[in-house]
Amino acid sequence: MKKKIIALMLVAAMSAAMFAGCGNNKTEKNNSDGSEKTASSEEQVDITYWTLGTRQESMEQIVSEFNEEYPNINIIFSYYDTDAIKDACKVAAQADNLPDMWYNWGGSLGAYYPQNGCSKDLTEYAAANGWDEKFNSGALSLCELGGQLSGYPIAYNVVGMFYRKDIFQEYGIEVPTTFEQFEQACATLKKNGVTPISTGGLYGWHTMRLVEQFVEYYAGADGHDELNSFDSSWDQENVIKALAKYQEFCEKGYFPEGFITSDPNDTLISLANGNCAMDIQGQWYDFNILDNDLDMDQYGWFPFPNETGRMSAFTEMVQFNADMDDAKLDACMKFMDFMETEEHAAADLVNNPLPFANAVMPGDERPHVSEMYEYSNEGGTFTITDQAFPTAVADVLFDGQAGICNGTETPEKVAAAIQSAIEEYKSAE
Amino acid sequence: MVKKRKIDWGAYAFLLPALIIYLSVIIFPVCYSIYISLHNGTGIGKMDFVGLENYVQMFSDSIFLTALKNNILWIVLTVVLTTSISLLLAVALNNKFRGRTFFRAFFYFPCVVAPIAVALIWRWIYNPNIGFINEFLKMIGINYTQTWISGENSAFFTVLIASLWQGIGQPMILFLAGLQTVPADILEAASIDGAGSFTRFFKITVPLMKETFIMVIATLIISSMKVFDVVKGLTNGGPNNATQMLSTYMYSQTFSYNNVGYGTAIAVFMVLMMLVIVIPYIAFTAREK
Repeated sequence: MKKKIIALMLVAAMSAAMFAGCGNNKTEKNNSDGSEKTASSEEQVDITYWTLGTRQESMEQIVSEFNEEYPNINIIFSYYDTDAIKDACKVAAQADNLPDMWYNWGGSLGAYYPQNGCSKDLTEYAAANGWDEKFNSGALSLCELGGQLSGYPIAYNVVGMFYRKDIFQEYGIEVPTTFEQFEQACATLKKNGVTPISTGGLYGWHTMRLVEQFVEYYAGADGHDELNSFDSSWDQENVIKALAKYQEFCEKGYFPEGFITSDPNDTLISLANGNCAMDIQGQWYDFNILDNDLDMDQYGWFPFPNETGRMSAFTEMVQFNADMDDAKLDACMKFMDFMETEEHAAADLVNNPLPFANAVMPGDERPHVSEMYEYSNEGGTFTITDQAFPTAVADVLFDGQAGICNGTETPEKVAAAIQSAIEEYKSAE
Repeated sequence: MVKKRKIDWGAYAFLLPALIIYLSVIIFPVCYSIYISLHNGTGIGKMDFVGLENYVQMFSDSIFLTALKNNILWIVLTVVLTTSISLLLAVALNNKFRGRTFFRAFFYFPCVVAPIAVALIWRWIYNPNIGFINEFLKMIGINYTQTWISGENSAFFTVLIASLWQGIGQPMILFLAGLQTVPADILEAASIDGAGSFTRFFKITVPLMKETFIMVIATLIISSMKVFDVVKGLTNGGPNNATQMLSTYMYSQTFSYNNVGYGTAIAVFMVLMMLVIVIPYIAFTAREK
C-alpha cells in the first residue's frame, strides 16, 4: 500500500512538472482595486523584444547603458534574420505568443498585426507625446496601418542606384539622367565584360526594386500609385512593357548569371570585386561599404532615372503587443526613447539618420545619405512594392520575375497572374 | 480454475505522463489540424467553416499540383538513389581495408550537419559566378558553366543532390549494421556450394537484411515527404516554383499568406499521402515474412 502511495505521488509530481512550463506568461496583474498598474522605478519589468540579428552587437551595448539608468527593466532579446523574423512573428501571432515588442516593416508586412488586433494602437500615445513634431511625417504615415498608428518608426529608407565610379570612369560612362542613358550605360558595361547590375532574386524583393522602377517609368507617378492601391488593373500595357523591359535586361545579360536564386544580402560582393557596376540599394548601403572596409570614394549613387523623379521608400518600425498594459508600454517606450537618440545614431548603434523630423545626417564618412534624403524630399517617393502588396500578391510577382528570367513565363502572363492574385485577395478580404 | 489476472494500476499510472504527452502533442494537434483544415481564416480570431472546400481547392491550384508532382518525384528519387548509394557504400565499407573507420566517419559526417547549413554550403558550391563547381570546371579547362539552382530544369536535381549528400550517411550506418547481422557461416556454405559473390549478395545477404530495408525505406519515404529545410534554404521553392514542395507550400500558405485553413488542409493531405504510401508498404512486407 505504501509503495502504491509513493508511486501515485511520483506520477502526480511528474504530471505536474510536465505542465509547469505550459501556459503563457501573461501574468500581469491589476491592482486590488482593479485599476491597471502604473510603472514605478522599483518594479521589475521583463520585456521580450524580437529583432534582427544584424543589430545584436549594438543592442547589447545599448541595453547595458539602459540598465544603468533603468535597472528594473529587463530586455530579453531574440534575434532573427531578415526573412525569418517575418515568419516567426506570424507564427507567434497565430499561437497568441507574440513578444512584447518586435521589429517590422511598414505597409502590408506590418499591417497584418493591427488588422488582427495583435499590435497596440499608438494613436493616442503619439498625440499625447508629440510624435507629429518628433518624427518625419513620411515615416510616421507609413506606420499608419489598418486605421491605426501601429508602430514606433525606427528607420525611413529611400532606394537609389549605387554604382562604381571607377568602372563608370574607365568606360567613359556618364551618370545617367534619363532611362535611355541608363540603358546605354548598361549596354556599354556589358560590351566591356562588366555585368551592369548586381542583384539577388532568391526572395524576390531585391530584383523587385528594379522591376518597380520600370513600372514607375512606364506607368508614371499617378499610374503607379493607382496600380499599388489596386485602383487600376495590373493586367495593362504599362505593366507588360515594364516586365518586357525586365525580360530584355535578363536576355541581354545585364544581371549576374543565376541571379534568380542568389542571396540578395550578398550583392555587394559582386560590386566590390568589380564583376558588377551597379546595385539598387537604400541609404544604408554607405554603412555596408564602410563595414566591409571598402573605399567609399569608389562608390557613388544616382536616383534611378524613372523620369518621375520619385524614389522608392519604405519604413521600419517596432510594434507592441496589444495585450500589454500601460505600465509595460511605458517601460517599452522608455527603452525605445533611450535607444533612438542622436547619440546612438552618431555611434552607428541604431539607424543613422533617425526617422526624425529634424534628424542629424551622418557626416562625410557617409556622403550619400543626406543627398538621397534631400533628393527624396524634393522628388517625392512611392511605397516599395512588397510593402504596397500583400505577401501572396508579391509572391506572384516574384515567381513571375523568376519565370520571365528563365523564359517559362511571358510578361503578359505575369501581368495577368498578378491581377488575378489581386482579385483573389480582394475577394477574400 | 483460471486465476484472475490482477491489474497493476501502478504500472498504468506510470504510463499516464507519457499518455498525457502523446495526447497533447500528437493526438490533439492532429485532430485540431483536421478541424482547422475545414475552416478559412488568418489563424487569429474567427474561422469560417467551409467544409471540404480547402481540399477541393487544392486540385485546381496549379502551384499545389506542381508541389505534389515535385514531392512524388522527390520521394521516388530519394528512395531509389539513397538506398542504392548507401547500400553500395555500406557493402564497400563492410570490407576490411586500411582507413575503413575514417571513410565510415567521412561518409557519415554530412548527416550531422543541420539541413539549413547544408543549404548554405551548397548555395555557395552552386554559385554560378564564384561557386566551387563552375570555378573547378573552369580550372580544369571545361567550359561548362551552369546556373545550377537558378535553372528551372536543373534546380530540382541540384537541390536533390545536396539533400542526397546529407542523406546517405544514416541509411549507410543502418545497412552496415544489417550487413554485420548476416551469419558468416551461411555465406561460407553458399560459397562452398559454388555461389558467386553476386548470387551470395542478392540471394542471401539482401533477403536476410529485409528488416533493415523496411526501416530504411519507410524512414526515407517519411523524411522525403517532409523535406523542407534544404529547399527553403537553397531555393525557397523557386525559381518560379520549380522546387516547390508540399511542405514549403504549406508553410507559405499558413505563415506567409495567412491562409491557415488552406495551409493546414495541405498538411493533412501530406499526412494522408504518407499513410497511403507507408502503411501498405509495411503491411505488405510484414505479410511476406
